[in-house]
Amino acid sequence: MIQVDKASLVYNDHGRDVYACRSIDLEVKDGEFLGILGPSGSGKSSLLYLMCGLKTPHEGQVLYRGRVVQAMDEQERASLRLNRFGFVFQYPYLLGYLSALENVLVAQPSGHRRAEAVALLESLGLGDKLHRLPHELSGGEKQRVCIARALLGGREVIFADEPTANLDHRNGVAVVETLVASRGTGSLVMVTHDPTMLEKADRVVTIADGELVQ
Amino acid sequence: MFLVRNAGKTLPLIGVIVLAVMLIAGIVAIMDSIPLSIRTTYGYSKAYLGVTPRGNNAMTPVLRTQIEQEAPVPLGPVMTCRASDCEVKSIVGPWRFVVLALSQEDMRTYLSRLGGGRVEGRWPSSGAPEAIVSEPVARNLGKRIGDTMLSPTDVNNFSPKPVKIVGIVHMQPWMALMPIEYHRKYHFPPIDLLIVMAKDIRDQDRLDRWAFERFKGQQARVFAYFELEKETDEMFRILYSILNVVIGMLVVVITLMMAMLMNIYQSQRIQEFGLLQALGYTRSILLKRVLAETALVVVGGWIIGLGVAFLALLIVRAVLMEPRAFMLDPGDFKAYSYTIPVPIAIFVAATFTVVQRFRRFDPVGVVERRLV
Ligand SMILES: Nc1ncnc2c1ncn2[C@@H]1O[C@H](COP(=O)(O)OP(=O)(O)OP(=O)(O)O)[C@@H](O)[C@H]1O
Ligand SMILES: [Mg+2]
Repeated sequence: MIQVDKASLVYNDHGRDVYACRSIDLEVKDGEFLGILGPSGSGKSSLLYLMCGLKTPHEGQVLYRGRVVQAMDEQERASLRLNRFGFVFQYPYLLGYLSALENVLVAQPSGHRRAEAVALLESLGLGDKLHRLPHELSGGEKQRVCIARALLGGREVIFADEPTANLDHRNGVAVVETLVASRGTGSLVMVTHDPTMLEKADRVVTIADGELVQ
Repeated sequence: MFLVRNAGKTLPLIGVIVLAVMLIAGIVAIMDSIPLSIRTTYGYSKAYLGVTPRGNNAMTPVLRTQIEQEAPVPLGPVMTCRASDCEVKSIVGPWRFVVLALSQEDMRTYLSRLGGGRVEGRWPSSGAPEAIVSEPVARNLGKRIGDTMLSPTDVNNFSPKPVKIVGIVHMQPWMALMPIEYHRKYHFPPIDLLIVMAKDIRDQDRLDRWAFERFKGQQARVFAYFELEKETDEMFRILYSILNVVIGMLVVVITLMMAMLMNIYQSQRIQEFGLLQALGYTRSILLKRVLAETALVVVGGWIIGLGVAFLALLIVRAVLMEPRAFMLDPGDFKAYSYTIPVPIAIFVAATFTVVQRFRRFDPVGVVERRLV
């Protein structure tokens, strides 16, 4: 469904070009759980941003169902992220003035998905904390709100960028299990530096210094 | 939603706009109250034309004949009178106000010409050192029936004998009258003046303008309302151009201040927009949202400011102005129209800073917690 075709992402580091991703070839198939493993700074986040259209490759291209993502206009790319992709960022980023439930609903501004959002939060064990503000939630609870936000509306692909990095092992495993269980028929692309989190993955690729290693 | 949940951040912005609007409307309304006071205090001259001889006392009957023969409109009463003056208060210091000396019959005609009103007390007796004034004059002077209005010891309100107020007329126009017989006997200089009324008060202005041209350069001086208007306008033209500069600068200062405030406020906002953009909101939707919020704050602040300014002016009028019969118009349209640039300038400045920020903006930077 998503094809990364010799894509490179270059950052400009004080006049010097730094390759965060170098000539990456990768495919995400419908419904699979793809794990991406790599040490810190290896380019994992950058690869996810390329795949979901938040970053544009400097060389190569990324295709969504055969269409070149960078050729779409901003409107179309935004609508991909809004309706087809879900993203769990590395840090649990919520809007401080909205309750847990409202933070989830932010992901689908047009739909009437209150009931669905409540059900999602309940399934994530937050049924009694719907009206808490983010600063009244623990780190793991915030991460789960972010997951609910990424899942709302049923997405084709969930991208998860080290969703377990800030959690202890037990909570981390629980979060991964939730992601796997709640994604429905969608694909899951999860990035981590901890191989034990990828035990359930259908496939694992490893990235080092911006390049895939087999 | 953001505005309500973040009242702590929104209210100061609204507060600044409210204060700015109040300040500007207040200054302009107070300034406007000066010409308004002039027009009200001397508004009586709308009702008739005053003509005095210049340099030669004997001219009065000649002038009278000329007017009666040549007037372009049908004439109403033409009165011969005398005049003295007194001092009234204004917010810019003392002003002279005419005390007309009329015959018993003319006093009554004069009153009805100004619109009439209920007489409290009585009319001055013929030849007696007595006066009748309209209610605003009494309020301005702080006098009641029985008080002395003019006296031999008061250089600013002089009369050879103490003149007592014996009547107060409840009416809007300013008016002070005393018996002509008393004036003839005791006052100096012995100059007779003419009060010329058009038969139809709507013709008064035409008559005034005709007389002004007719007696130009002659041994006569003409007092007419349109001249008063003209002089007032000229007097205030310079003042108003200064006022425009001051208010223009005020708007610039306030706008700069607000733009800085808005900038800080949006720095916080931009974090939120980074996340929303990463979640799939388009830049234009976010831009529309922030502009709508800004418009709400700015227009809301402006409207509240207008309301507060109106209330403040009402209070100022009730507490400070009315007791001395000073004029102030809390519904002064001009005062409020001077505040229009405030919301517009602030909105433009805010839009500019937002667009500027949105132009170079990477949502990944926000979700990665790098600074924007
Ligand atoms: N904005 C940037 N400017 C310059 N270099 C950057 C920028 N963002 C990332 N990089 C560099 O690109 C490389 C890959 O970064 P990336 O964030 O993709 O790594 P990561 O694998 O997600 O690391 P981590 O596990 O610490 O999150 C790193 O060497 C990083 O220093
Ligand atoms: Mg990362």
